[in-house]
Parts: sequence; C-alpha cells; structure tokens
Amino acid sequence: MNRILAIAQNTFRETVRDKILYNLILFALVMIASSLALGQLTLGNEDKVILDLGLGAISIFGLLIAIFIGIGLVYKELEKRTVYALLAKPVRRHELILGKYLGLLLTLAVNVAVMTVGLALALAYTGRAPAGAYLRLLPAVGLIFLALALATALALLFSTFSTPALSALFTFFIWVIGHFNADLARVGKGSAVGEALGRTLYYVIPNFSNFNLIDGRAVLQTAGYARPIEGWAVAGAGAYAVIYIALLLAIAIVIFSRRDFK
Amino acid sequence: MAVIEIENLTKDFAVGFWRKRPVRVLDDLTLEVRAGEIFGFLGPNGAGKSTTLKLLMRLLFPTSGSARILGRPAGDPAMHQRIGYLPENPYFYDYLTPRELLAFMGRLFGMGGPSLARKVDGLVRQVGLGESADVQLRKFSKGMVQRLGIAQALINDPEVVFLDEPMSGLDPLGRMEVRRIVTGLRERGVTVFLSSHILPDVEAICDRVAILNRGRLQEAGTLEDILRARIAGHELILSGWTDATLELLRPWCSEVRPMGERLHLRADDRENLEAVLRFVFAHGLELVSVNPIRPSLEEYFQTLVVGS
Amino acid sequence: MKSGRGPKTKPVLRSIAVILVAAALIRPVQDFIDARAERGEQPDLLFFNSPSLVQKMALGFEPLLADFYWMRTIQYYGRRDETGKRRQSFDNLYTLLDITTTLDPGLQDAYHAGSCFLSEPPPIGAGRPDLALKLLEKGERAHPLEWRLVYERGFVHYLYRKDYAAAGKIWLEADRIPGSPRWLGGLAAMALSKGGAEEIAIALWRRQYQEATNEAVRDNARDHLHSLLVKRDLAALREQIERHRAETGSFPPALATPRDPMGTPYTYDPRSGRVDLDPASTVRLVDTP
Repeated sequence: MNRILAIAQNTFRETVRDKILYNLILFALVMIASSLALGQLTLGNEDKVILDLGLGAISIFGLLIAIFIGIGLVYKELEKRTVYALLAKPVRRHELILGKYLGLLLTLAVNVAVMTVGLALALAYTGRAPAGAYLRLLPAVGLIFLALALATALALLFSTFSTPALSALFTFFIWVIGHFNADLARVGKGSAVGEALGRTLYYVIPNFSNFNLIDGRAVLQTAGYARPIEGWAVAGAGAYAVIYIALLLAIAIVIFSRRDFK
Repeated sequence: MAVIEIENLTKDFAVGFWRKRPVRVLDDLTLEVRAGEIFGFLGPNGAGKSTTLKLLMRLLFPTSGSARILGRPAGDPAMHQRIGYLPENPYFYDYLTPRELLAFMGRLFGMGGPSLARKVDGLVRQVGLGESADVQLRKFSKGMVQRLGIAQALINDPEVVFLDEPMSGLDPLGRMEVRRIVTGLRERGVTVFLSSHILPDVEAICDRVAILNRGRLQEAGTLEDILRARIAGHELILSGWTDATLELLRPWCSEVRPMGERLHLRADDRENLEAVLRFVFAHGLELVSVNPIRPSLEEYFQTLVVGS
Repeated sequence: MKSGRGPKTKPVLRSIAVILVAAALIRPVQDFIDARAERGEQPDLLFFNSPSLVQKMALGFEPLLADFYWMRTIQYYGRRDETGKRRQSFDNLYTLLDITTTLDPGLQDAYHAGSCFLSEPPPIGAGRPDLALKLLEKGERAHPLEWRLVYERGFVHYLYRKDYAAAGKIWLEADRIPGSPRWLGGLAAMALSKGGAEEIAIALWRRQYQEATNEAVRDNARDHLHSLLVKRDLAALREQIERHRAETGSFPPALATPRDPMGTPYTYDPRSGRVDLDPASTVRLVDTP
C-alpha cells in the first residue's frame, strides 16, 4: 500500500508539473466565466445557462485531462523506459497500475474541485440561485467526477496495450457512444438478433448516461421544471462506477502483468 | 556461494507484423556469479546482454529456463528489496530533481524519514551530482542522468547490483569515477553484475567475465584464464648480442628487432621458445625479460565476433 | 507491443476473479439504476443544452453532428411509442430541435416535422405550439424564400391556436413569396372570411397530405383528413336520417351508406337509427377541431 501511495503521489506530482494541465484548467475557467456573458444574453434563466455550461465545461475538460494526461502517463512510462528502473524495485506491476490510477484520480479531483469553485463563484455572481443549489451542485459534480474516473480507467486500460493516439481515440469514442447507448439498445428493436445485440451492447459499453442524472435544472430546482434528485439512482450510479472501474483496472492489471517490456 | 544462478535461460521474441515468427535472442544461457565479485557481462551490441538483464529483473518473461538471485526466483518482490538495477540508457522522470527521484525510489523500498534524506544526500554527493541535486532532470546531460541512474540503483544498499552499460555516455573522467564506485562496492562485499562493451574498463575492474555473442555464451571465467589460452607466443629481450648471434637466432624467431643495446625477439610457440632460451644460456647472452604475448581483451573480442 | 507470456501470479489470478465478479454485477446494477430512474421522476436530461456550445464543440463537423442530433430527436420523440407505463414528456424536444437546426440550418425536415411534433397536444406531441412557432420563425430566418415554412406557421395558428385571423394573415404573407402555389391565396381568403370552416380544414390537411415528404407528417395529415371526412360524412347521414324521421315518423329501413375514406361502409342500424364508423374500419380517428 505504501508503494502504491508513493507511486500515486509521484504521478500526481508529474501531472501538477505538466503545463497542459494548467492550460486545460484555464480554458475551463475561461469557459465558465464566459457563461456569465452568455447568461446575460438570455432572458430569465441565466443561472441555468451558467450551470449547464459550467457542468459541461467540467465534464469536457475533465475528459481532456483524463485522456491527454491519463494516456500519456502509462505510455510515457513504457516509451521512455522509466518503468524499467521502477519495476526492478520491489514494486509489483499491479501496484504500478493502481498507483498511477490513484494519482490521476487525485489530479482529477483537484481539477474538478477548482472548476467547481469557479462555477459556484459564477453562480454567486448572478445572485439568483437558491441557497440549496450550491449544495445540490455537489452531487452533480460528484457524478461527473465518477464519469471521469471511469473514463480514466478506460484510458489507462487502453494505454497498457495500445499507442497513445489510438488509446485517446478509443476512449473518446466509447465516451461518446456511452452517452447514447440507451438509444443504441433501441436501434436493434424489431429483430430478435438485433434486440439481443442491442441489449448486450447496452450492458457492455460503459453507460456514461448513468452519470447525467443531475443537470442544471435539477440543481436549481426551479419551480415548474423541478425534478427531485433521485438519491437511489445516484447511489446506483456510484456503485456502477466502482464496479466498472474495478473491472477495467483488473483487465489492465492482467494485461500489464503478463507483458514483456522489450 | 552463487549469488546469481542462471540455468538454460532462453528467450524468443516474436517478430514480424503479420505472420509472427519467433527469433531467439538468448539461447540456453547457463551462468553463475559468486558473492562479492565483479562480474563482467560482455558482448557486442545485440548479443543479448540487456535481454538477459531484463529477464533477471522480470521485465521480460523467459521462453524457458530459470534464474535465481540470492537464492530466490527472479521476480520475487522480497528479493528485489535486496538488489539494485541500472537499465541501459536510463531515463527518469524529467520533472523530478535528483533528490526527489531518489527519495521516491527510496520510498518504494519502504524507506523514509531523516535516514532516507541522509542516504539521498550521501548518494548525490557520491556520484558527483551534489551541485545539481535540486535541478530538474530535463536540464541534465546524458552523463549526469547516467550518474543518477547509478545512484538510484544503490539507494537501498543492495547486496547485488546489476549495471547495464554503466559507462556509456560518460566522459573519461566519468568512467574513472564509475570504476571507482564499482570497486568501492566490491570492497563493501557487494556483488556487481556489469554488462558492457567498453572493454578496457571491464579489463580493469572485473574479476570474472562472460562473453556473449548472438545470444550464445562463448566463454566464461577469469580474464586471466580466458586470455592465457590464447597466448600468441612470447617476447624475449636480450642484451650483449652480436650480429653473428642475431643471425643464428633468426630461424627460431618470427620477429627480430635490434633496439640499441637490446635485441627484441618473438618466439611463436613453445618449441622455438625453448630453442631460443637454450641458445641464450649456451652462448652466455644476458636475458633481460621473457613475456607471454597475450591478446588484449579487445583483440580477442574482435576475433570472436568477426569469426562467428 | 508483444503479448506477454508472464505467469499467472497471485495478483493476476485475483484480478481475473475481480473481472468475473464485476462483469456479473454490471447488469443488475444497471437495471437497478434504470428501475430507480423510471420509478421516480424520469430523468429527461440532455448533457448539453446550449446549441451554441454544441456548435462550438462540433469543430467543423456541424452537418454530421446535425444528422446525429436529428436522429436523436427522432429517437427522443419516438420513445412515446415504447411503453405506456413510462411517463413521457417532451421537455427537451425543443432543445434537441434547436441544436439540430443550429448545427445545420438547412435541415428542412427538422422544421417541418419538428413543428408538428411540438404543436400536437400530448400524448402525441409536446403541446407547445408556441415553441413550434419559434422553430418555424428560426427556419424562416434561415430560408426567407421558403413559403412552406410560412405556410406551416399559419397552419399552427389555425389548427392548434384556433386563431383563424392570424392564420389568414400569415398565409397572405406566404402567398407573397415568389414561387408559392396559387391555392395559398384562396386559403388565406377563406380563413379570413369564413373564419375556420370545416372545408378549410379539409383542404389544408389534404394539401399537407399530398405535399408531405416525411412519412410521419403524411400519416398525421392523413389521419386528420380522414377524421374530418368521417365527421362530415356522418353529419350528412344523420341529417338525412333525421329528415326522414321528421317526414315519415320512422327511421329509414335502409341507407345507401357511402364508404369511409379507407373504403369500409359505414354501419347503419334501422331500429335505433344509428349510423357510425364500422369498428373494423382502418381509419384512425383523431381529435379534430
């Protein structure tokens, strides 16, 4: 465990010293700030626009961080052969995978936190959101974080056997498909084979729409549009994330543990 | 006592994009390294030296055969606690400083606290990086990275150290320093397994060597033993010679070179050597010296590689 | 990147166990989430609600993404067919259409079918003629010479808002667009003078039915047209029966019943004097004004 933590800490340090990270965070904050301007253009529900844009920005830039930094981390380790010296230490390969993942998660958590604070400030600037909205922002962001954690595990898995460009592409594709796989399941309707295939894909492809349970409106709970946040569904999404991440990391460990490092 | 036992170690790599076929990069290597010695692992580029080291470090998995280090199978984490490894052309996280890298590596061994900090300080100084201990590695030259690589291999005070081409990328001064560090390790009882193709360095410090070519072990033993078997005659130096004795000696010698007072002769085999010596004693010439002509390791190496 | 040949060590075996357990758990957990999401208020959420944001993220692939969003819109609308047990609302329908038409303002189907989906009362549509008008106006800005969009805007006023004067005015507007068909003027005149006769409705739906290129739009128009025709036929027949009773004191023993628009004769019962659509008829009745 100590070794995993040491690797996690070092991974976190690596990302923190990476310029890409700051560019991405900066972009996200600029985007959240620009939602203030956009919000003024709409009539009435500027806080909803800010929330939608802000949550979108956290999600997209979080994904970019997960993809660009996440994939680079393992691949660089192999490409630049830093892994050789590391694995000759009393470090087992699964510890390396888990440490890397944990470190990345920490990076993501800090980034999401920074962007969330930015979003909350933007929301406070309008002064229209109810006090409860700030509290409800947390589960909304929490779900986004779970989605990002899942995407990171996916990126990590791909990068144990593929090139960074392909890994990035795979991860992005699955992320996109994973938002629409409820629709995918419906495509096969009509033929028995198609339906079975659709259902299978529905379960196999990580279902990122599980993490879209709370949107700007749900955070605001505006009268007339409000839907209460379904606590059990959110908890289910959490369990789903944990299980799927465990699955992906376990596959990554099996591949990584049996690989030759030429 | 054998510290490293390699038995019938064999490694195939699958090459080719479409129809992969196995290519043997290491073929049935059996080797033993004893406690406390500096063992030179020699061979031209591509001979399989790094592959062997990676197999020992479990970075690669053998096709067949086995390896044991300190009596434990390769890959045993407890054994890794007691060894150090410098990869070939090492590269480390360039966003770290030497101090940070060594501290990180130390933590992987379960070290920490002030004792780790002291250890790091000592190592940084030992490999001559004292002034750049807090500079990010991205600003380092290849030689500096190499020194740091040696330092990280020693962070845990290992009982066995594996160094893959430790001299490469270093200037003559740096090579001297590495030699000094390696001999220093031997004095502390550390076993060193050193792969290299820089032969003068190996000749200077290694107790025993193994020579690998195209994945096959060619020779193993002390340098003395290996090279003695290849003595290419003897060189004799005489004084008190005359033109007449010179002519009489000439039939037994492959080379005759007068140099002022002295006469340098070369006898290619034992028979001729004995004949020359009998002549010298019989005619009362003064024998200044008799030296076996050994090939240098470099010459031997050349014949081996070219010949195969 | 060669496949490894490493041994199955303890971490590897443990990982394989984790893989098996996790794979077995995914489906029940997903079902749990789906059930929860269904039982509670159904989350009807879009990840991106802002057309301009989506447009910026399209990175030059706007037409492609527009097609994608259009399919998603159809899927979203089509969900109403799925099961009766799910409460269906079309809260995001306009947003989807808005994103689609922002990404590709040339996607005419999105305006035509979209305005229809939006203005139909629930459960068939969103019951939001105001949004349908907004969508059509957006389309008109992108296609100032497309009379059909203007015509349809009038149609929404006529049918869903029952504002015949407004419909007539808009149709006059459409009539002024070069290339518009002649009957538009007549239609506008009818709307403005008679203010909503059944005949206009029939004429309108017949046009719609004949002109529609989209199957959903055409089916909808056909059902409305047929419903109106059935209504007109039945009214005429009942009037005939009533007249006969007034004259003779009894129901006519038989009627030369005409056939409904799908070809099934209307049913007539001489004892009760009731005339009606045959239950076996394939005409699909919808509410008509």
